[in-house]
Amino acid sequence: MGMQATHRWSNIGWTVLTYILVFLLVFPVLWMIVTGFKTEIAAIAIPPTLFFQPTLDQFALAFSGGFSAYLFNSVVASLVSTAVAMVLGIPAAYAMVFQMRNKSSNDMLFFVLSTRFMPFAAILVPLYVIITRLNLLDNLFVLIAVYTAMNLPLIIWMARSYFLDLPMEVLEGAWLDGCSTLQTIVRIVVPMAAPGLAAAALLAIIFAWNDFFFAVTLTYTNSPTLPIMVAAFTSNEGLFLAKVSALATLIILVPVALGIYAQKHLVQGLTGGALK
Amino acid sequence: MSQANQALQTPTLPDMQKRAAPVVSRRGGRMWLHLPALVFMIALTQIPFLLAVWFSLHSWNLLVPSEGFPFVGLANYGTALFGDPNFWPIMGNTLELVAGSIILALIAGTVLALLLNRRIWGRSVLRGIATVPFLVTPSVMALIWKNLFLSPSAGIVNWLLGFIGIPAVAWFSSFPLQSIIFIVAWEWTPFVMLVILAGLQSVPGEVLEAAKVDGANALTTFTRVVFPLLRKPYEIAILFGTIFIFQTFGEIYVTTSGGPGLSTNTLPYYTYRTALSSFQIGQAATLGVLGVIVAILAARGMVNLMTERVAAERG
Repeated sequence: MGMQATHRWSNIGWTVLTYILVFLLVFPVLWMIVTGFKTEIAAIAIPPTLFFQPTLDQFALAFSGGFSAYLFNSVVASLVSTAVAMVLGIPAAYAMVFQMRNKSSNDMLFFVLSTRFMPFAAILVPLYVIITRLNLLDNLFVLIAVYTAMNLPLIIWMARSYFLDLPMEVLEGAWLDGCSTLQTIVRIVVPMAAPGLAAAALLAIIFAWNDFFFAVTLTYTNSPTLPIMVAAFTSNEGLFLAKVSALATLIILVPVALGIYAQKHLVQGLTGGALK
Repeated sequence: MSQANQALQTPTLPDMQKRAAPVVSRRGGRMWLHLPALVFMIALTQIPFLLAVWFSLHSWNLLVPSEGFPFVGLANYGTALFGDPNFWPIMGNTLELVAGSIILALIAGTVLALLLNRRIWGRSVLRGIATVPFLVTPSVMALIWKNLFLSPSAGIVNWLLGFIGIPAVAWFSSFPLQSIIFIVAWEWTPFVMLVILAGLQSVPGEVLEAAKVDGANALTTFTRVVFPLLRKPYEIAILFGTIFIFQTFGEIYVTTSGGPGLSTNTLPYYTYRTALSSFQIGQAATLGVLGVIVAILAARGMVNLMTERVAAERG
């Protein structure tokens, strides 16, 4: 009896600790969101103001500073690059799982992985030279192409890991019925692996949306994305804390919403099914 | 359990024929489905990389076009490894950033994974919330960390430290690299947590029951029983974390721009600076190639882990 009571209390203790630690972990994001609803004066007040008259002024200001142009670039760059990566990546994964011999499939996997693990800084130098020579600096198409290359390995290794789990019998049935490879992919493989492929697409969108490296090195005024808009505040730090917070809140909404939606697939997606 | 496995491994004859025939006809034939993706990746990553190797063998400064593009052999590598007094301190910073962030994230992520593996009310919602630091745009959050939390004047961290009598700290001036390590560790903690949680789900309940029956306390159970079973999840967390944290860029750019001095320059950041601030293309390409060598070695380790699964499943 006594031991059970102790056990129950220690259980409650661990639970409370869990809630506190999770709260502390996300507190920076929560506090940023709260700060977005403050006036600039309230935002820099120390001690911090917890009760205040919320205002939407900062969000209105954030929208006014050319926001829609940055938003357009971010949306187009992440959606188009993800779509192209899916169209190129799904057939590649199909070939790796259902057509290639184990050895060539593994070689291809190593190639795909090394592509994604190659430090961006290494290919930046030649890419920058080529893009400058072709007069394509600050062009949204270049950003789309780079993000496609960045996300293609992710799509391939995620699709591969979901295709490996498909029941062989169904595919063999399709082949015996005389389905062409394209029909097999479109009518059978893609619908059966749809939840996993959707998660792959969401992850790819998040990576493109969150990219800073290529956006800051390959764009100036025509095609900068939302993270660049925020980085412009580094020069006048502290002056527009509430406005930056409002802007940052708007930007992180997309990856947070997509990421939580695809949560169950995050681990498998990021580790290519090395861990299930 | 073992009987079921044996039944799967020795299929009956009709079964084998049904399985084997179409698979053989589909394998090894003309294959082109992977070619578009392959060509795209080669065009955007392999060819640029080969160009980087080519550039690295030349002296090329975009600001001094009169010097041209003379071949210098491995001189740029000599300069990077032995001549440039910045190189080894920057490698040290890179190592400190990667090791520091991954170690902090491993500790925090393990604690969270163990706590969130218990049956508590709202567990899946809590897990979702705890994932947020990994999803937020890194450059944007780093700017928020710097100005909203670690600012010397308006920062909440200094205000809280004031309660225990610690005077205001100018975090990004006094502890620039450590501040960035802290932010990066915060971002990667949820990743470690998710990987360890996935690993914990494969720890059989009977094993834990047995440990409990034997009178092991929670700490002993974790260190002696659970931890050894999590070898692979930890390997994956460390490898992926290392490879991606090595690429940290936006967080440095928006908080310190590599300073003060060189104190927050890492190899990728220094490569970027050499290319796009000093326009020493030959030297920057050399630094890039050196970075690739480091990353490829890490990827080799990773692919061995990933192909283990296929080998086990395909037999």
